[in-house]
Amino acid sequence: MSDFSELENELKKLRPARPSPVLFARVEEAMVNSESAKIIRPDRFRVNYAALGLGLAAAAVLLLLAKVNTDLRQGPSKSIVQNSPAPKTRSLLPAGRGIEGSRSSDKFIPAGATQVVYNTRDEGLQFTNRSEQPLRRLRYQTKETWRWRNPATGASLRVSYPSEEVVFIPVSGQ
Amino acid sequence: MKDREKVMENVATHEDWKSCFSEVAPGLLLFARQWTRSAADAEDIVQEAFVKFWRRNHNVDNRALLYATVRSIALDFIRRDRRRARREANVFAETESTIEPHFELEDETQSALAAAVDSLPHDQREVLVLKIWNELTFAEIASALGISQNTAASRYRYALAGLKKSLQPQ
Repeated sequence: MSDFSELENELKKLRPARPSPVLFARVEEAMVNSESAKIIRPDRFRVNYAALGLGLAAAAVLLLLAKVNTDLRQGPSKSIVQNSPAPKTRSLLPAGRGIEGSRSSDKFIPAGATQVVYNTRDEGLQFTNRSEQPLRRLRYQTKETWRWRNPATGASLRVSYPSEEVVFIPVSGQ
Repeated sequence: MKDREKVMENVATHEDWKSCFSEVAPGLLLFARQWTRSAADAEDIVQEAFVKFWRRNHNVDNRALLYATVRSIALDFIRRDRRRARREANVFAETESTIEPHFELEDETQSALAAAVDSLPHDQREVLVLKIWNELTFAEIASALGISQNTAASRYRYALAGLKKSLQPQ
């Protein structure tokens, strides 16, 4: 490093340009008026929330589908249990040959789920409202696909939706 | 360095942001200028960063966080400005872009040195700016930029070597 000491001294002689007096006035105004010092949030966050909402809506649809399937299978068997003496009814039905067996053609079973990350972006250091340390913001854009298959009929159901995820990773000081 | 520490200590005690700001503003501006075309944009970034930093009652001794705040806001500024920049690209392409000086230059030697600093690769220049004109330690630089201390130190050495080479008579 000693080779560069002369150069470092020359560099230190360079004086950075002074800020304009207007800047001091603006900072003072912002300090006094907390509203004017509001942190500018990029519009992109709203887009992100929209994508998040879309993803949640898709997830809700999936849950509804799953619930409908469950209700179709479980509904009639529940009524049998309620309308007849449970021990006798159960003893008459052979194992695996109940209502569920007769409705097996309605049964969709999960066949797979994939999540393809097609874009990752490092958006630099950020500060959230309550964080005491900088956070690195990573944005993932993915496409998620859920598949169901009916083994009896061979029918399949596939739902795909885009999703966007922002992850904050704490950056530790050294 | 001692004076700076004394000012920072005083600021921490009396919450005198003006003393603190007048002390650090030139260095912050120089740091912010790396991402902006004009001094006015850099001042906007510094204003937002300093107010944000101060309002959150951060310890003023935590300079790495102050510079990280400037950097974060500058990068946001670039992203916000990207669309506008694309629209203006043709205009800039046709006209000679006037880069406002980053330093108060006194002679030809300083002009040459400033030009050499401007021509450094960005990652080396930001370490140099933080080290020389903001007096951050390598640990603080590493924290502000999200890199290791070794990387900060090696970028600094590369910057000095690059400057030395570019300033040598051909």
